[in-house]
Amino acid sequence: MQISTNAKRFALFVFSMVLSVGILFGQERTITGRVTAEEEGPLPGVNVTVQGTTIGAITDINGSYSLRVPGPDAVLVFSSIGYVTQSVTVGSQATIDLVLVSDVQALQEVVVTGYTTQRRRDLTGAVGVVETAELTAVPTGQLTSQLQGRASGVTVIGDGRPGQAAKVRIRGLASFESNSPLYIVDGVPTTDISFLNPNDVETMVVLKDAGAASVYGSRASNGVIVVNTKKGGSGVKVTYDLYTGWSLPGPGATEDVLTAEEYGELIWLIYDNDGTSENHPVYGPSSNPSPTMPQWWIDNGSVSTDWWDEVTDPALKMNHDVTLSGGNENARFFAGFGYLDENGIVLYNYSKRARGRFNSEFTILKDRIKVGENLTMQYYRGRGVGNLGEGSPINSTTYRLQSIIPVKWSGPDFPGQLSTHLWTAGDWGGTGIAPRLGNSGNTVAGLTRGKDDWGQNYNLLGNLYVDIKILNGLNFRSNFGGGFGSGWGLGFGWATYENAENTNTNSFSENSNWGANWIWTNQLTFDRVFGDHKITAVAGYEAVKTGIGRYMSGARGNYFSTDVSYRTLSNGASINSVSSSFYTPTALVSIIGKVDYGFRNKYLFSATIRRDGSSKFGPDTRYGVFPAFSGAWRISDEPFLEGLTWLSDLKIRGSWGMMGNQGALDTQNQYSLYTSSVSTAGYDVAGTYTSAVTGYRPSRIGNPNAKWETNVTTDVGFETTLFNDRLSFVFDWFLKQTKDLLFRVERPAQAGNATAPYINIAEMENKGFDLELGYRDNFGDLGFSANFNVTHYKNKIISIAEGYDYFDYGGGTTRIGAAHRNIVGEEMSSFYGYEYLGLFQSDADVDAHATQTGAAPGFLKFADTDGDGEITPDDRKIIGSPHPDFTYGLNLDLSYKGVDLNAYFYGSQGNDIFNWNKWWIEFFPSFQGQKAKSLLYDSWTTATPENTVPKASNTSNFSTNGQVNGYYMEDGSFLKLKNLQLGYTIPQSVLSKINVKSLRVYVQTVNLFTLTKYSGLDPELGGDDRAFGADTGNYPNVKQIVFGLNLTL
Amino acid sequence: MKRNYLIIIITVAVLGIVGACKEDFLNITPNGSLDASVMGSAEGIDGLVIGCYAVLDGTANYTTWESAGSNWVFSEIRAVIANKGTDAGDQPAINPLQSYTEESTNSYINTQWVTLYEAISRCNNVILVAGKSLESGKITQAKHDIFVAQAKALRGFYHHKAWLMWEDIPYIDETMDPTEVGNTTDVRANIIADLQAGVSGLPNDMDQIGRWNKTVCQVMLAKAMMDMNHDYAGALTLLNEVKTSGTRPDGTSIGLHPTYGDLFEITNRNTEENVYTVQYSVNDGAGSANAGYPEILNFPYKAGGSPGGCCGFFQPTQEFVNSFRTTAAGLPYLDGSYNTLPVVSDQGLTPADAFTEDAGPLDPRLDWAVGRRGIPYFDWGEVTGSDWVRDQSYAGPYSNKKQVYKKSEERVLTDVTNWTNGVTANGYRMIRFADVLLLLAECQIETNDLAGARTNINLVRARAANPDGWVKEADGVTNAANYVISEYPTTGYPFDSQANARLALYMERKLELGMEGHRWWDLKRWGLAVTETNRVLDYETTTPWGSNGAAYIQGTARVGAEDVTYPVPQRQIDLMGGLIVQNR
Repeated sequence: MQISTNAKRFALFVFSMVLSVGILFGQERTITGRVTAEEEGPLPGVNVTVQGTTIGAITDINGSYSLRVPGPDAVLVFSSIGYVTQSVTVGSQATIDLVLVSDVQALQEVVVTGYTTQRRRDLTGAVGVVETAELTAVPTGQLTSQLQGRASGVTVIGDGRPGQAAKVRIRGLASFESNSPLYIVDGVPTTDISFLNPNDVETMVVLKDAGAASVYGSRASNGVIVVNTKKGGSGVKVTYDLYTGWSLPGPGATEDVLTAEEYGELIWLIYDNDGTSENHPVYGPSSNPSPTMPQWWIDNGSVSTDWWDEVTDPALKMNHDVTLSGGNENARFFAGFGYLDENGIVLYNYSKRARGRFNSEFTILKDRIKVGENLTMQYYRGRGVGNLGEGSPINSTTYRLQSIIPVKWSGPDFPGQLSTHLWTAGDWGGTGIAPRLGNSGNTVAGLTRGKDDWGQNYNLLGNLYVDIKILNGLNFRSNFGGGFGSGWGLGFGWATYENAENTNTNSFSENSNWGANWIWTNQLTFDRVFGDHKITAVAGYEAVKTGIGRYMSGARGNYFSTDVSYRTLSNGASINSVSSSFYTPTALVSIIGKVDYGFRNKYLFSATIRRDGSSKFGPDTRYGVFPAFSGAWRISDEPFLEGLTWLSDLKIRGSWGMMGNQGALDTQNQYSLYTSSVSTAGYDVAGTYTSAVTGYRPSRIGNPNAKWETNVTTDVGFETTLFNDRLSFVFDWFLKQTKDLLFRVERPAQAGNATAPYINIAEMENKGFDLELGYRDNFGDLGFSANFNVTHYKNKIISIAEGYDYFDYGGGTTRIGAAHRNIVGEEMSSFYGYEYLGLFQSDADVDAHATQTGAAPGFLKFADTDGDGEITPDDRKIIGSPHPDFTYGLNLDLSYKGVDLNAYFYGSQGNDIFNWNKWWIEFFPSFQGQKAKSLLYDSWTTATPENTVPKASNTSNFSTNGQVNGYYMEDGSFLKLKNLQLGYTIPQSVLSKINVKSLRVYVQTVNLFTLTKYSGLDPELGGDDRAFGADTGNYPNVKQIVFGLNLTL
Repeated sequence: MKRNYLIIIITVAVLGIVGACKEDFLNITPNGSLDASVMGSAEGIDGLVIGCYAVLDGTANYTTWESAGSNWVFSEIRAVIANKGTDAGDQPAINPLQSYTEESTNSYINTQWVTLYEAISRCNNVILVAGKSLESGKITQAKHDIFVAQAKALRGFYHHKAWLMWEDIPYIDETMDPTEVGNTTDVRANIIADLQAGVSGLPNDMDQIGRWNKTVCQVMLAKAMMDMNHDYAGALTLLNEVKTSGTRPDGTSIGLHPTYGDLFEITNRNTEENVYTVQYSVNDGAGSANAGYPEILNFPYKAGGSPGGCCGFFQPTQEFVNSFRTTAAGLPYLDGSYNTLPVVSDQGLTPADAFTEDAGPLDPRLDWAVGRRGIPYFDWGEVTGSDWVRDQSYAGPYSNKKQVYKKSEERVLTDVTNWTNGVTANGYRMIRFADVLLLLAECQIETNDLAGARTNINLVRARAANPDGWVKEADGVTNAANYVISEYPTTGYPFDSQANARLALYMERKLELGMEGHRWWDLKRWGLAVTETNRVLDYETTTPWGSNGAAYIQGTARVGAEDVTYPVPQRQIDLMGGLIVQNR
């Protein structure tokens, strides 16, 4: 009987998920009223009960209720999942209308930290709670970008490409290779949350210290971000959210680079400066007093191409979100559908995401058992472009294409001077038209040809759980979750005709992969209060397998036709490459133990221990044990502070603990392996010209003794709220020391070039503080709130490996060697090179200075830091740091009746940028690409020795463009108005006539302004953690104008 | 309550099941790779040997031009046979290498070191695995010996190349921990012994053209003896044997190819002339990694579609071109006075400007080594001038030619999987028979057999004098320039004294083997790296592009005694914690 009832309930649930049927009941009429929620209007499904009795009612679709009460002393209790429960004494009232306080504030009270939930006031660790409503205020569709500036201790950097997840770092960098936080989505760990729809997120908390995070042991060392998705509340709710807007590329670098005519003038300046002469193939004999514009350019309309303008366009984005939710005391569901179509400002750069979510939960067997599931799925399709680096569209467009090159040829037929092509009207322009036009491809041509290339992904992430109440206070919970993803991509490589260096053969490549992972967690939770003592204890066991999957790709060349419908691998004439790989997965098992103890809610203590085993390590070293302890003292509850009415709450906290990390480690680290390879070990030993015998080589050296990288974190913090919770303040100081840091030590070349293993050798330290300050008040109809947070950390490499004082890492600047060096005693990813003193002013200046190769007036002067009278590699030093002194976010909210205004600022202070773009445009011999206006107008000459740009010269040597040095360094501090939003909520009086619960419309701008001294396109720069902060052509975050509406039915 | 117990039992059981399988659960072996046990078969070890040959082209686990097996930077550009070429900002790391101002942090130097020692490491691995397999009976003694002899010979060769670069190098064999070997011990005897092991352990017929046989090892041993020890008597014996009874690796005979010009054709890479050619292969599924990737930059930058398509590097110098001036009798100027009779170039002219070709007598080998205006360039047509080079004002008017393929071979013997056609099957001619004859002549001069030396040099000159091998105009009949070449007279100058005979030998190697990756090592062996290179620079820096302060040579480049070797890469010194020391 019971079973069939449950089956019916299940059937009802499934039905309700599809049709959103409300569940309504009626009662006698003695007291009536209407329950509404802030912003959302009438609230159905609210439980209204008479305290101490079984009398109760549930609000209807209009939020109305009625019930009989015993007398005036009766107390009505209004409760609804996700809202603060309120009690009202009936008294003589016949009508009781009530506004329930929205879930955001309610949820501040309870924090879901993964294996358990805790009241926020009981937390002993450093936990940042993110206001989810604030997240979605920024229209990106990426939770990671939305997290920027929203929680102290969290640094987020993202570029302007659509659909691109941002880089998130919590409290600095603790490892050389693996610094991404662990995300726990509904109990399922993942390293990628790009497929989550921000609109589905109910709570998001950041676990920053060991006291909070070490329960996640093995992968917690970079911090943990716990995301729980919406479950649905009582009653039926349907919402629709829309926003649409444009990203505006602006003038970009247009004003910084030369026109075609100016380029000729620059060459004449160089002849003058260098004392050289020649017959320039574009601008004529240098004996002429000024450059002569070539006839082909005049025939073509004498147009100076503005490449930035040609490659970028205002880009439309559009987002739709529909959510359906509902439930009663036994079943709840939430379904969300989102579709986000975003275009990038670069031509044919787009991202489309369709995302769905289905969450549900039932309570069965008289509240004994809760079962539920969460499931999200995403379909992504897009065409991405590269960022940061030579060949990225921003780099080639802005810094490498001369203005004299037409995007398309429009003149009379013209035989190319460098290419065999005969240009006719409509052909792509390019560097093959004439000599000395540089070596970059025509970006517009490249992007246009690639418009039919795409990549797509399917992702599924979900879990199924059961929670059984064994005894009062003792629960067993089993959670099985996992993810599955599959990707597909294809691209056509075009043969070109317009370039000086053409691609001769077309090709087509196609690849596909699938990957999966799963987790199974079983835990017992004990939660009891004994008088003054409150105990919560968790014991659990967890098994995880990640990295299951395969990849394959193929490429063929010599396609007879470039037609889109002809692009299959079968149709190519030659096989270029075929490959596949079979991933080696990782398995993890863990035992978890956690006890929270509170005495009178004043003295709080927590202990965690976790033992993890990982298949990445050899049998002798695969287990790691990670303990943590934390405590807190709520001083404000002490009798001696009770009289202070302005003090609402004051708590001091402290924690110490260890967390593990294995993220850096290759799954094959413990094994020595060989590879067979026709490319790296093949040889045509039989002399056939067109086939090679596949050889073998050692590919990897194993280290079976690698063990867990361990992070020891100490945190001291305090939090307080003042003046009736109007003012809040949270401060944490932390020290994070990474020991046994896994590092792939570069082996001496004599040991061979096989991949070296990771060994536990390095040490790193991060210290800093996080600070949050909040203010919230109402002045009549005027509501105001402000939140400010600051993140500061100082990173230091304590040791790398015995005998290793540093290691270099690339970062897109390989033309003159790495700009970054990781040095013991210094910050990770420091800029390293010659200190720049200014320009040599005269021969006497050169003579007086230490011997420097290539030194000449107007060229760069470097410091002789070791004082040996000669500029040698030993003179190099740290010339800057990409780490900010601090980053900060400021959120301001203002509301007046139906009008609301939100402004959100984000800033970074004290970080340096290596502006690699200067190498391209401020030094003439750095390829014959585009050059800077400053090189023509503001460069050093004997007549203008005060100018700071080096002498325009065709000299490439140590003292010009040959070395990494301080000339490229700039202050990268910035302050951005990330978001400015003005909203208007249509009054209830209007909406009730059309049966709409709430409707809000808004207009907003994103990145309205950036205050910075940085000369490049955008100071917000990512990059590898070992080499970041180098601007090698950054896809900028540009201004956006967005319109939107939020509708609740 | 019953239900409660049931639930507890289920819970415990579930935890137990998961716990019980955990050890297996954590044992995950790698997918997609081979472990050492698989490699011990004869086929496996031969695959490892193939891996040792694979580095002869100068690329190992990566594709690069920095460590090119053809030595175009470290030997030819260093010796001012050619310029870096292209424009000022391209591959700026080469600029200091040709102005003798390189730092120990120069990337080319480190890549060369990394590549050579990766090769050495692969050789040692062959010897180790073969030894174990012999012990366990997986392979026969005969198989073992043939594997090990190849590995040792190659190990000797790679060490020899490192010695030429740095002299102070670590010698690593299979018994050593490579991280504990310094570079302060004299390693020459080890190198000789390794090459000797190849000579005594390998037959002349190795079945396949790409394997090293006894002959190849003999030449390499002779070169090592000459380069390192000036052991001309020892080398003489070896080279005489090669001349009389040596074979190509597949057992076929060796000798001079009848014509000079078509020696460098791709399809002639394995003719009788080629004692050993590095076997490049194209369109073999390796994405051009086995093709001539290290020479990918070294094609003319020709307007209207270039051979290769990129990048205008490796442009011959005026001094090198002038060397081909002959007397009316067809003999070279051995005293450097050819620079007073410079070959006329089109420097400073546009293709539209009129140009009168040099009419003076020239050695015909010039126009196989150098692309210059007015001379047909295979089937690519006549060189039309400054439109064939990237920046004439920077790097001069000439183009590389020996490594370039014919237009008719494009996409047939060049790789179609790369963006450029410049990855070819034109394998690097590591040992030509003419080289053997000249090495032999050198040993004869040093051992005072001047007549013998003259005979061998004249064999080389006689072949060059075969007019069938001269560059012809489009009609296929008319010589492209005024070619005059003759053999040295049997009496008198220059084979009248050892000193003069040396001059003839030195010049002959420049003319015959220029642009083929030997020059700097030759100068080093002769003790002339400083004086001869400075003499060349004295002239070269007077050319419009060489004297220009803005250009590569910087006007003031001078070679000092320390520049004969290259600095040991700083990276490797650092990585070895000082066990490896700087050589200067």
